[in-house]
Amino acid sequence: MKLTTKQLTLCAMLTAMALALSYLENFFPLSLAIPIPGIKLGLANIVTVFALYALGPVQALLILLSRCVLGAVFAGNMNALLFSLLGGVTAMLVMILLSRSRRLSVYGVSVGGAAAHNCGQVAAAILTLGNTAPLYYLPVLLGVSLFTGALTGLIAACLFQALAHTDLMKG
Amino acid sequence: MRRWMAFVLAAVLTGGLTACAGTPADPDEAQESIQVIAMDTVMIISAYGEKSTHTVYMAEDEIRRLEGLLSRTEPDSQVSALNHADEQPTAVDGEVSRLLNAAALYSEVTGGTFDISIAPVVSAWGFTEAENRVPSQAELDGLLTHVGMEHVHAESPDAVWLDQGTQVDLGGIAKGYLADRIAMLLRENDIPRATISLGGNVLAWGDRPDGTPWRIGVQDPKRPDDAEGFAGLLQLEDAYAVTSGGYQRYFEQDGKAYHHIIDPATGYPADSGLISVTVVADCDREASDGLPGTGTMCDALSTALFVMGEEKALDFWRNSGYDFDMVLVTADDRVVVTAGIAEQFTPDEAGGYAYEMVS
Amino acid sequence: MRWSPKLRPNGWDGLAAAIVLLLAAACAGMLWGRGAATGGELEVVVSIDGGEVERFVPTDSAGEKTYTSRGYTLHVLVRDGGVEVSQADCPTQDCVHTGWIGRAGESIVCLPARVIIQLVRTDGGSDPGGVDVVIG
Repeated sequence: MKLTTKQLTLCAMLTAMALALSYLENFFPLSLAIPIPGIKLGLANIVTVFALYALGPVQALLILLSRCVLGAVFAGNMNALLFSLLGGVTAMLVMILLSRSRRLSVYGVSVGGAAAHNCGQVAAAILTLGNTAPLYYLPVLLGVSLFTGALTGLIAACLFQALAHTDLMKG
Repeated sequence: MRRWMAFVLAAVLTGGLTACAGTPADPDEAQESIQVIAMDTVMIISAYGEKSTHTVYMAEDEIRRLEGLLSRTEPDSQVSALNHADEQPTAVDGEVSRLLNAAALYSEVTGGTFDISIAPVVSAWGFTEAENRVPSQAELDGLLTHVGMEHVHAESPDAVWLDQGTQVDLGGIAKGYLADRIAMLLRENDIPRATISLGGNVLAWGDRPDGTPWRIGVQDPKRPDDAEGFAGLLQLEDAYAVTSGGYQRYFEQDGKAYHHIIDPATGYPADSGLISVTVVADCDREASDGLPGTGTMCDALSTALFVMGEEKALDFWRNSGYDFDMVLVTADDRVVVTAGIAEQFTPDEAGGYAYEMVS
Repeated sequence: MRWSPKLRPNGWDGLAAAIVLLLAAACAGMLWGRGAATGGELEVVVSIDGGEVERFVPTDSAGEKTYTSRGYTLHVLVRDGGVEVSQADCPTQDCVHTGWIGRAGESIVCLPARVIIQLVRTDGGSDPGGVDVVIG
């Protein structure tokens, strides 16, 4: 894989944006509504969706991993690493698959990603706790993922629309 | 702007979803259940909701009241008064008059296969007496001349009389009517869910506390003593179900079994190839006004259809205009279920029946 | 741009959303159906570090209990047939925020202390194949 300078810069920018979004999520603690500590909305998936289309799966995965590791280091919380990694990677895998189908728009891909993100997080919670209790909240989380998915899809769509004709995308 | 609105929407809906998950499924968890022995059978009244206790005891009072009014063996009942009036016009309650008229109607529409004036013949077989016996053909022929609703004159409640030799027994619709009356009590007391079992007559009111339909086991007529032996399972919500079967009461003499459902045409126990008939019809909660209604209909029809036999019963189901469904158990080991309840019916494989759905 | 995604939602997106919704409903049916079943008794199961440490019937054990793990102490209040963490010294306070739970399947989790308080329904007496009424 050969990264152009432009692509590298874009990767770095997107990682920073993803980190900022992860931080932003702390202001909307989903755990108040769903009592599984560590569960996040998954707003950083916006970056994953964007990177997937704009840069490709490998770069998108790199951004994801950097975001997860840096996020955990900044927060000083290694518990969070498993949640964000499992959630993020599952979401990414599902979105890679879904984006192959050219029929789905960015909304469909995002919804699938959000659902996978929440499944991954429940799996992380089960692993961390050594108990299947969090499974009980999976249906609610799947329902929530419809909205977070639509939201990330909307924001990603706005981004693509805004950037489609800039030369940022022509690298 | 749009994205924030979407976010607020997501947050609100998230809250809504969790609220659903957190609240218990049913606010009416109070339950009261009583057992009443009346009308020669065991009745179980089981109601849920705030006023369940009050309601089940009202239902017991209603059972006692109707038994006192309609019993043929109770000397003080209005039915006894009619049967022993010697052709003298007698005033009866509007309620008794309405029941006599309902009985006349069901007799007419079923071609006389349901007939409350069959009472003296049933007595001749000893089913209301201490001892059963097989009456002679001559005796039956004599009694049958007095059978028929043309011998019952009930146009006005103020003057009801029976022709000489005729007697009536409302037992064939009393429990069905009781189910109609109890349905009214349930409605008046805002009972969300209840099961009323009146010995062969069931009222499934509302649904189970877990939100699924009530599960009604249809007794396997070939295993009447096995409490777990079912011909099938009916999942019912707001419905009446009534079973008539020869296995419920019978006696044996000289190796032959004689059951209590007498065919008014022959004077003999009906021999129609059916061993049990279950009639199911929807209960319209709002229309439960305590008058002879769907419960009464189911009770009368179950007897009539049992006497008719499979073919005529299916004809009646298709053409009568009455809205009901049936489960027929035949003597040749088939269970016939009509299309309207096919989805609510689950066969019980242990019975060894062949199951058929007809439409 | 490697390839440009479709930017307007279409029927296929609706299908994707419907599948997620269906999945949610199926999970709900499977996971919550058990909790809603009648019969059996509601029990509280307390686990610390993945191992069960206590099990009790909330209706019989109203009162306060404390659990200590990893340097944190949770005060658990058992009331009205359910439980809540009334007070805890963990940094996140998620367990306190969860509030009262009273339905089979619900749980309170304290991640820093690795404590899970879970409501389960025992199978005692419930018979899913059973009938409510016998007719005939």
